[in-house]
Order: sequence, then C-alpha cells, then structure tokens
Amino acid sequence: MEPRIGVYVCHCGSNIAATVDVEKVAEYARTLPAVVVSRDYKFMCSDPGQDLIKKDIRELGVNRVVVASCSPLMHEPTFRRAVQEAGLNPYYFQMANVREHCSWVTESRKEATEKARALVSAAVRRVYFHQPLESKEVPVHPDTLVVGGGIAGIQAALEIANSGHKVCLVEREPSIGGHMMQLDKTFPTLDCSACILTPKMSMVGAHPSIELLTYSEIDTVSGYVGNFRVKIRKKARYVDVDRCNGCGTCITKCPVKVDSEFDEKLSKRKAIYVPFAQAVPNVTTIDREHCTYFLKGKCRACEKFCERNAINFEQEDELIEIQVGNVILTTGYRLFDPSAIKEYGYGRLDNVLTSLEFERMVNSAGPTSGHILLKNGKEPESIAIIHCVGSRDVKYHEYCSRVCCMYGMKFAHLLLEHVQGAKVYEFYIDIRSPGKGYEEFYNRVQREGAVFFRGRPGEVTDVALTPEEKGKLIVQFEDTLVGKQRRLPVDMVVLCSGIEPQSDSQEMAHKFNISIGKEKFFTEKHPKLDPVATMTDGVFIAGCCQGPRDIPDTVAQASAAAARVLALINKGKVEIEADTAVVDEDRCSGCRVCNLLCPYNAITYIEKDKVSRINEALCKGCGTCVAGCPSGAITHRHFTNEQIDAELQGILA
Amino acid sequence: MSDIPHTTFLDEVAALPACGKINECIQCGVCSGSCSTATHWEYPPRKVIAMVRAGMKDELLKSNSIWFCVSCYLCTARCPRDIKPANIVHGLESIAIKEGYKPPTTTTTMYRSFAQSIVDHGRVYEFGFMLKYFLRTNPFAALKMLPMAIQLFRHGRMPLAPKQVKGKEELTTIINKMGEGGDR
Repeated sequence: MEPRIGVYVCHCGSNIAATVDVEKVAEYARTLPAVVVSRDYKFMCSDPGQDLIKKDIRELGVNRVVVASCSPLMHEPTFRRAVQEAGLNPYYFQMANVREHCSWVTESRKEATEKARALVSAAVRRVYFHQPLESKEVPVHPDTLVVGGGIAGIQAALEIANSGHKVCLVEREPSIGGHMMQLDKTFPTLDCSACILTPKMSMVGAHPSIELLTYSEIDTVSGYVGNFRVKIRKKARYVDVDRCNGCGTCITKCPVKVDSEFDEKLSKRKAIYVPFAQAVPNVTTIDREHCTYFLKGKCRACEKFCERNAINFEQEDELIEIQVGNVILTTGYRLFDPSAIKEYGYGRLDNVLTSLEFERMVNSAGPTSGHILLKNGKEPESIAIIHCVGSRDVKYHEYCSRVCCMYGMKFAHLLLEHVQGAKVYEFYIDIRSPGKGYEEFYNRVQREGAVFFRGRPGEVTDVALTPEEKGKLIVQFEDTLVGKQRRLPVDMVVLCSGIEPQSDSQEMAHKFNISIGKEKFFTEKHPKLDPVATMTDGVFIAGCCQGPRDIPDTVAQASAAAARVLALINKGKVEIEADTAVVDEDRCSGCRVCNLLCPYNAITYIEKDKVSRINEALCKGCGTCVAGCPSGAITHRHFTNEQIDAELQGILA
Repeated sequence: MSDIPHTTFLDEVAALPACGKINECIQCGVCSGSCSTATHWEYPPRKVIAMVRAGMKDELLKSNSIWFCVSCYLCTARCPRDIKPANIVHGLESIAIKEGYKPPTTTTTMYRSFAQSIVDHGRVYEFGFMLKYFLRTNPFAALKMLPMAIQLFRHGRMPLAPKQVKGKEELTTIINKMGEGGDR
C-alpha cells in the first residue's frame, strides 16, 4: 500500500496561529513527498477538526496522518482514536508539536514558522515508515493487595471489599490502626480519634472479603498490572491466632516489662502483648527480643496459664504467595525525631515532649489517664507549643508538614480544657489553616485564650538568668511582631514534630518498582491530574506515604485509589502499549547486558534458547535496552532506526 | 510609582560574599531568638534583614545594630533557610565603613587595635592592644578593667612585654598580599 499522507496544521485559536504562519506551513507540507492533502484549521481537536481527517481518509484514500498542533501528551490519544474510527491502524499517525516547541517558546514569527516547517517535515518523513501495531490486552486479577493498615489502608480496603472484591490487607505491626489510633482528638471537629476509627477497624477484621495479615511484611513482588505475584512474610508471633481469644491471662502472667511503642514509651507493656485494648485482631504477640524464654531458655509462664493452648514457641516465619491484579500502598509516615535539633533540648531536658507523646498523655486511655503531668507529677501551669520542628528547614525537611499548625492549636484547646488556669503559648512562623473549619478553629483557640507569638524560638534552655526563670524551661525567641528578643519561662514544651517518610520507603519503592522523590516520599504519576497512580501501572498510593497530609485528605485519597482499582477490576482487562522493544533472537548473543539495564525488570534470559526475551506487558518502551544491546539485536517498535533516521533527515531537510 | 526606595541596597548586600540567599528569608526570627547580644541591638537581626530588603539603608547603617555582632554564628547555624545572617551583618559593617557611616559604638576601634596587634607581633599582645583601644576611646574606662588586668598579670596571662611569633616576615608577606597591611 503506497503511503498517502494527510497533513493538518492546527491554529489552536491564536495559541499557534498568532506566532506560526500556519497557512505557509500547510502550503509547505504540500510540497513534501507522498503528501496528498494538507490543510490548516482553527481547532483540530474539535469534532469538526477530527471529521476533516476522517473525511480525507475515506474520500481521498489518505492512509498516513500528521497533525501539527500541541503536545502528544495532550491529544495523541484523541487523534489516534479519530484515525482508528476512520478505519486505519492508530499507529499510522504522527504528531508534530508546533505549540509548546514553536509558538510558545519564541516571539519571532519567522523563527517559529521555520521550526514548525522542520517539525512537520520530520513528522511526514517519519510517518512514511510507520508500521501497523496492535496493542495487547491482558486480564486483570480481581484481587487487590493493600500495604499498610493505617486509616488510608483501612479506607481503601473497605471501599474495595464492600464492592464484593477480595482484598489482602498487610500490616507489619501486630494490629491495624496506624498513627490515627494514637491520636486523642482530631482537628477541627474534635471527634475522638479512636471512636471514629475503631468501628472501621472492626469492620476490616470481620469483613468476609478482607484477608487481614498483621505482623506481616512484603517480601518480594513480581509481575505487572493485572498480574502481580507477591510474597508475604508472616512473622512468627508465637501465638496461634486461631486459638487465642485475647483473654489476656498470658499478659498478666508475663514477668517482663518493655517500653510501649503505642504509648510512645511513656508506659510499659509486657513481652507478650496486645498493643492497645481495641486491637484488631485481638490476639497476643510475643516480642522475641524481650521474652525471657527466648533470652534465657526458661519461663514459658504464658504457655502454662493459657487455657486454650494458643502459645507456640516453635512457630516460625511463614512465607506465603498471593496473586493480585492491583496494589495500593498506604505505608504512612514516621514522626520527625526532634533530638536532632539540640537547641530544643528534646531527650536532654525533662518536660520537653514530642507531639505524639503529648497525644498519648492527653488521651484518657493513655499512660497518665488523660492527665497532663510534669516529670514531678504536678500539673504544668504554663506550656509552650513550638511549631515547624523539623519542617520548613533546609537542614531537616524543606517542606511544610501541613498538619502541625492545626494539631498544635488542637493541643492548646485541649490544654485549656484539661488544665485549670493553664497559660498556653503558640510559637509559629505562619499559621497554615487551609481546610474546612480550620481557620474558624484558629479563631476559636484565640478566643479561648491561647497566646500566639510569631517567631521561631532560638532555643529552649534550663539555664536561668533571673530568679523567676529558676526551675523552669525558658524559651528564648524574638517576638517578631514587636521586634524584641524575649525569654519566656514555662513548665512544659511541646514540639510540633513534622511528618517524614518511613525509614524504609526507598526499599519499598524498589520492591514495587515505583519512584520516590528527593524527600523519599512516593512519587505520584502526575502531581495534579493523577495524584493516586504511580508510573508503574497497577500500583497506587494514598496517604502520607505520598507526602504530608491530614486525615480528611488521606481518606479522600484512599477512596480515590480504591476507585481507580475498581475501574480496572470492573473492566477486567488492561491494554498494553504496543511500542515495546523486541529482541531479534537470531542476532541475540545472550550476553544479558539488557537484563541488567532494564529499569522495569521486563527482560529475562531464557536458559534453554540462550537468548533474552522481553515481557511486553512489563516493557514501558523506554529504549534503554535498544541503546545498550552490543549486537544491535533489539528493536523498539514505533522507534525503529529507519523511522528515527527519516525523522532526523526531515528536520535537516 | 511607589515610594519604596528599592532595591539597589538589597542588590548590593546580596552581592556580598555568601549573602546571596537574603531573598529567601522567611522572617521566622530564629536568628534574633538565638542571638547572644540581640537585647542590645536597636533592630534585632531578623529586622536588619527586613530593613535591607525594604531598602532602609540610612536608618539601618546609622543604628547600633550591626556593630554588636560577636560572630557566635548561632543565627547562621540555626537559620532554616541557610541565609547566613552573620555574614550579612559583617557585610553591612564593611559597607558602612566604606561609605563613611560613623559607627555609634567603639567596635571598629576595637577591631583596628586588634588587627594592628596581629600585624605588629603576629599574635595578640593583650596589654598593648587594650591600652591602645582605651587610649583611642575612653582612657578612664581602663580603670574599670584594672582589677581583671591585675588578676591576669598575676597568673602570667598578660605579660607586659610583647612576644613575637616565629617567621614574622612570612606572616607580614601574607598580610601584605591580602592588601590589609597598611590599612590602619
């Protein structure tokens, strides 16, 4: 079939036409080899614009199409579809970007027109060599893996499970609940955090479509969208979860006391424990590192007293493999450790607390039963709350952690409520309260009597300069609205630590083959228009693993990720891009250079045939292997040497 | 047009060594909150930066503010935007001297006496340098220091005769090379 090329130059209103002489470009295209028709039109992406193409395909026998308009990221799918609807293979299409690459980058009409001509010439010469390609479809496994059992994971798992599809929810701690379970109240409505979370947790525990794997971690991941194989390590908890009914006798009998992680080390738990009363699942776990039996070879008190014979010291880690179609990562965050900021004295001075420590202290189920107490057991009379600890600082984290202003003000409210006559001071740089009811909450806390000082404190010290500072913590700061350095003696200092990525976020990203940013949060596919997808199809993200956010945003994002997964499950199959790489097996020497180069692990060496082969479902068409192959045995479909050569000649023509 | 005398002053300061990030200041005030002498400053360090950005050159350079910096560098160590306030303040000092602003403190006399001592002896000769400083400023103020001077003398910490460093000539060559040798 002799190529008959149609060229369509778009005005894009005045976006292109104001700078590029579109008529001249269209006229020029007519002189190019194999071009049978060349037109310019106001909006090629509009229906009448697309109809122009379809009509020419039908009436003039056009069988290759070039559209000179905007970026292919914007409208390549539109025009491919139009070409396909007129009966051509969609890959008989090429786009020349004369907007972002021409009209928008210069004011010179001459230069813009000249470049547009070159790009059109390149596209015409390239499309001449295009070959028809068929995109492939693969089925989508209907099960989903959710990694991380905080509020994001809980929400995503419930959304999907409620539609009747199976979900496997993996959590590495003994119970789901995450950080939200540790919080006392939630801003700005002051709902009790546990009260709104525990119903969802027990729904997860009881849901027939959710397989809950706590105390488990992701081992390895292979496969691609629709067909992931995931190995999960179920860590030995030395308790038979089917027999344990959470009665707690073993806990009472256990002689070992350990700092409670859930209470931020403000209280003790036993070596056999349930992290908190409402844990899901409500079964015990033996902490091997502290258990007397594991350390000294004797004790087994828990075993002796367990009426259901649930204790099993012989248990070992178990590796299971599951198959899922999609993955949602909701691995959450870690609190910034403020001991890095020496001048604030955390870990060195008594009564300097992190925000999570304060959350536990103010919680009625916490270590002090909700009483705010100093180390000496007395109630504080004055409390300083310091914002932006570890955030907005190039030495720690450059970003704003988004939640600290609001929870800092929540602390002020709780303090004024819990401690009679307390004086509460907020030290802020800027108050960031963008959210429904947030600014109103700021106003409320001001009304309630919290004092706001604008200024990032220089230091917190116990070195008194005056008698009234004696025995106090002194916050030294500039009251920047007055322009004076001041010292404020208080009894307690709460540091509003920022949010940072989990320490193993890089490892996790590597396992699921997704990218992470400079700050080591997972990177979304598009920061605005695709915030829950990743560059790896079938792997979605939600919550603080993507960046700092509060509970409402986390829940919204988790639901969005679930919707994306459900769309894929519902469709049942995914289309795989056809412009993948292919190995000419006759020329392949089996050197395996490409195996190592491939960033998507799409190439495997076939021992039997002594050649490498590319898995089309995994290949993203990046071209790395094509460039790397020492034998020139790999071709990139839609980017063949012939096509690229013709394109270059077109530009230089 | 606005009446804000933009920005030649800001540009001038931003062009000083290691002062280029002054535009990135978020006015958090950690510099003033950390400053060991800020209570003496007419305008605390944060405000000094704000005034540079506002083009308030005359008002700033006539004030005592910049001259109280003792180079403890706490501001610079703690600045969340790495803008190095201490460098900016020292840069302002050099602008002030170059343009003939009369410092409202004796800081420059102290600097000069100190530097002269280094040039003459290759090290600080405390007795001579303090004597020179007090003679140039307020000789009577020296009396207040007398008890401390006696203590220092007793412990052999303040010999009356100067000591020279070894290789003084080499040091002089270095100082001359820096173009600072004759500038007293």
